[in-house]
Amino acid sequence: MIEVHELRKVYGERTILGGITATFEKGQVVALVGPSGGGKSTLLRCLNGLESFDGGRIAVGGDVLIPGGARVNRAALYRVRQRVGMVFQQWNLFAHRTALGNVIEAPVHVKKLPLAQAAQRGRELLARVGLSHREGAYPHEMSGGEQQRVAIARALAMDPEVLLLDEPTSALDPERVGEVLDVLGALAADGLTMLIVTHEMRFAREVSHRTLVLHGGQIIEEGPSKEVIDDPKHERTRAFLGLDRK
Amino acid sequence: MVAFGPVSRLWWVVLLAMAVLSCHGRAAPTSALARVRAAGVLRWGGDIQGGEPYVYEDSEHGGRLTGFEVDLANALARELGVRAQFVQNDWSALIPTRERGTFDMALNGLEVTPQRVGRVRFTRPYYIFGARLMARRDDASVQPSLASLRGRRVGTLANSFSSELLRNVAEIVPYEGVEEPYIDLVQGRTDAVLLDDIIATRYGEPKPELRVVGDLADGYYSIAVRPAEAELQQALDQALGRLVARGELERILRRGNIWNDRQRRLAVWSDGDQRQMLGTAVAGQHFGWSHLVLFAKGALITLRLSILAMALAIPLGLALAVLRLYGPALLSRLAGAYVELYRGTPVLLQLYVLYYGLAPVLKLGAFPAAVLGLGMNYAAYEAEVYRAGIQAVPRGQMEAALSLGMSLPLALRRVVLPQAFRLALPSVTNDFIALLKDSSLVSVITVVELTKQMTITSVDIRSWALPGALCALMYFLMSYPLSLLAQRLEARLARS
Repeated sequence: MIEVHELRKVYGERTILGGITATFEKGQVVALVGPSGGGKSTLLRCLNGLESFDGGRIAVGGDVLIPGGARVNRAALYRVRQRVGMVFQQWNLFAHRTALGNVIEAPVHVKKLPLAQAAQRGRELLARVGLSHREGAYPHEMSGGEQQRVAIARALAMDPEVLLLDEPTSALDPERVGEVLDVLGALAADGLTMLIVTHEMRFAREVSHRTLVLHGGQIIEEGPSKEVIDDPKHERTRAFLGLDRK
Repeated sequence: MVAFGPVSRLWWVVLLAMAVLSCHGRAAPTSALARVRAAGVLRWGGDIQGGEPYVYEDSEHGGRLTGFEVDLANALARELGVRAQFVQNDWSALIPTRERGTFDMALNGLEVTPQRVGRVRFTRPYYIFGARLMARRDDASVQPSLASLRGRRVGTLANSFSSELLRNVAEIVPYEGVEEPYIDLVQGRTDAVLLDDIIATRYGEPKPELRVVGDLADGYYSIAVRPAEAELQQALDQALGRLVARGELERILRRGNIWNDRQRRLAVWSDGDQRQMLGTAVAGQHFGWSHLVLFAKGALITLRLSILAMALAIPLGLALAVLRLYGPALLSRLAGAYVELYRGTPVLLQLYVLYYGLAPVLKLGAFPAAVLGLGMNYAAYEAEVYRAGIQAVPRGQMEAALSLGMSLPLALRRVVLPQAFRLALPSVTNDFIALLKDSSLVSVITVVELTKQMTITSVDIRSWALPGALCALMYFLMSYPLSLLAQRLEARLARS
């Protein structure tokens, strides 16, 4: 589904991604974990072209992104972004649109879906994230958890083949984390392909099929989630998971 | 004044303020002549914009003040045993400023008109001019008579002797400079120009496209002092008489290249001539319904002009802001240059360039030029307001839009700009209020809007207080509702 080959990104002297090679299979849920600054979010943002990169290539289905950003990749970028949905840590709901307005914006204006059809599908998606009763609410009238669930519905409205989630629960109040994880668990159960950057180890262990540990711009460990999280091989992973202190 | 019922309290406050201001100048010493002698300085008011040969800065001699009126003022001061000192003052405001006492006399091609006779005290004339009619060489329909001008567009200086002749005859196009009327005549924006022969000789006759139709009447340049200052007037009359008798005035006029046979009458000027020149002073008209109608028309033009200019400034400013932030490098830099150029130069100059400077290639009417000039100027300010608005929209909004597969233009149109515009709306409303008042600048390109109407009326009725107060009130009535709107918008923005 997604193939990343020797992906490199540098900021001046600093190497953010030091040659990442990975394959993400259709129907799999993959967790990206690791300490802050390890390159998890940057990798995710490269996958849908919000960040450009300096070396390597990314293939999403048949569409290939190469170094050089929007200037060289414009057509491929639009196709990739329609195949890949994105959910942000800070939700980024359109502040001037209602919940339903946020969900149908792209289907109507990018996919050119008739309004009635888009609205019907939008309501189904809001129901799926448990927010039917909030379709007329504006972002500033909703809690963080509600906003994040709308953001998930908004991304799903474009029927992405893969959903990228960048620390979807990090900015939420603790009592709101559960409602978002429940939605994600249900999506995983439905067979949606997802790539989640997360610090919720219990969630990663129970829901994701595979876990990748990023550190210093490298994948230092990967494998089935239960193995990686319960019995990491790499000392850095052990330190990150706090297992050495036992 | 019954018509102003609901706002009458405000009205009186404004009126009182104007009255206080206009009283200020009346507390001068009893004898102006004594004051001049005591100070050893005769201060005379003029406008160097009037140009050659009156009073101007000689560029070949380091901008030294030159002109036949400079020579005359110096000669008069010598006769009074004092030194002359020039005070620069906008020509159209010479008489009101004179009343404030900024200078002792106004000496700058001031023509004796019935309106002015009622308001100042004139000395005997120092120059006799002809009101010279000029038309385009290819237009034979203009004849040397006022009757042939009926209903035609005729350019002249506002509040001049010539404009008095044209009153109720032709459609007067009022100018503030002496070169512009002839530029517009060549361009076909007017049908004829009626102005003093001195002006016609220097600014009209050199243009090969124009011809002299004829002189319609004799007029007089006199020195103006305040009505109460008879003593100063008599001293100046006597001084002038001595200059004429000694042939010095003739020498001054010859040096200025403006001597002609008309001036021989100055040597035999009698009290009878003076009485005839002054005529019967027309009593100041009362401010009446007809003036009110004119004011309403002026206000309507101001409003129409401002709305159209803003309707141009908003989309143009938006395009500039978007190009500057998201356009390709070259266009982005061009948009930046546009903004800096239009913000960094006076709008008055921009109007001049647009209307007169570009006239040979772009023949715009006065009103379209005014809309275009103000609109293009305000677009620069709007561009900066929108740029600030766009930059205030969180980056995540754009990223979310792009991640949904939107193109940059679509993301701007659907997501970023609607939010930026909401942030910018209070500033835009404030800019519109500023534009409403800046629109008075377009009188330099002959559009008679509210402020210009005020100055014209104030000459008619010999007072600035009432027209000034009414003009201020009308601007206020137009801008205050907008101000309230801006406040409400800001409050709503602060809530969300």
